Amino acid sequence: MKPAFDPVQMAIPFFVIAIVLEVLLARFGKAKANYEPRDAATSLMMGLGNSIVGILTGGAVFAASLWVYEHRLFTIPMTAVWAWVVLFFAEDLTYYWFHRLSHERRFWWASHVNHHSSTHYNLTTALRQTWTGGVAGTWLLWLPLSFLGFPPAMVAIQKGVSLVYQFWIHTEAVRRMPAWFEAVFNTPSHHRVHHARNPRYLDANYAGILIIWDRLFGTFIPEDDAEPCRYGIVRNLPNFNLLTNVFHEWIGIGRDLARSRSPREVMGYLFGPPGWSPDGSRETSHTLKARWRAREERAAAELKGEIPALRQAQGEDLLQGRN
Amino acid sequence: MVIQLVGSAVAVAALVGLVAWARLARPTPPLDAEGAVRLLAEEFPDDRVDAVWLAADSGGLIARSGDLALVLWRRGDGYVARSASWADVIAADVDEGRIKLRAIEGAPALAVGDGPWPPTEVAA
Repeated sequence: MKPAFDPVQMAIPFFVIAIVLEVLLARFGKAKANYEPRDAATSLMMGLGNSIVGILTGGAVFAASLWVYEHRLFTIPMTAVWAWVVLFFAEDLTYYWFHRLSHERRFWWASHVNHHSSTHYNLTTALRQTWTGGVAGTWLLWLPLSFLGFPPAMVAIQKGVSLVYQFWIHTEAVRRMPAWFEAVFNTPSHHRVHHARNPRYLDANYAGILIIWDRLFGTFIPEDDAEPCRYGIVRNLPNFNLLTNVFHEWIGIGRDLARSRSPREVMGYLFGPPGWSPDGSRETSHTLKARWRAREERAAAELKGEIPALRQAQGEDLLQGRN
Repeated sequence: MVIQLVGSAVAVAALVGLVAWARLARPTPPLDAEGAVRLLAEEFPDDRVDAVWLAADSGGLIARSGDLALVLWRRGDGYVARSASWADVIAADVDEGRIKLRAIEGAPALAVGDGPWPPTEVAA
């Protein structure tokens, strides 16, 4: 019942070789990639820490899967090709909803935000994995697959395959894949949008392997070459401290809960969208997008001459008090 | 397992060394007037900027937008943006040629140089 092999463990040498290649190709001007040493160090340490946490918590998660499997509805053979095909789609759909939940509800965002805190987008960003996923409990979302009758080892292998697939899409070195591939699969272009903090790109492209789920559920946004992605989170972290990176949102939740004055506030701070506040004074993806749309509409109206253009402040006009 | 962990740590150190050697950070020139306006437009697109003060080492800025201070400071090869009450920012003390903005998460310290703080034109 235990996984015969772990795709992620097997892929680690490939991860290292791919990062070395990306760095060397960028160094010699053959590919686009930006690396900041402290940022890359944080990403790699996050990956290492995730592996250690996985060793400590993986057994409990697997035991829970086994318990659920013992109460399964059907018995699905691990050796059947059709079972792997069905699991491929079922696991990828599960991943889509896990990922969407991890962005749209603060409790789960607190665990997932680590993966987005880099202001760079390169192959080390793929390894910037959470340390607190076990606490957040998102692994529960995969239990229904075992309840249906997929052996836990089979589910674990498919989860690993998905994670390995998602490694290569964390790059600026690949601009676009062939159109048919972009239509069906998650690609570097689609995932760049997912990691962007530009308001227009927020909360989009949650796909794991197949981008079809985003197209189906209305969360797909294509990359617009006219607006390059700016990476990171809405409020980028003030330092490269590893522990700040891991725990900052959990600490933020703790502070907010400590000053909550009603059950509504407790629920809002825990399970509202990231940035939720009782008086609406903080920024959520929704408010940022609404303001972006308003700016776009105003710019379009100005272009048409329907409203006078706002005076644009220019350089030296504003500069005062410089020493 | 210990050997695997030590091996992983060595691999991490080697990769970071390679990244440092390759010098692939984004070009981040010192902030000038044009750069300041561009950054402010990116980070605070809805705030009207009344005046801007650039740090003496061009590693950050403070802009006034009514009762609000818009603050940007360099981190690695990018900038971090935060806003705070103008009154809190203007009350910051100067220590060894830098103002430490304790009212802001991360408490950035911006170089003042030999000039006065707060600069009279911006504070007015």
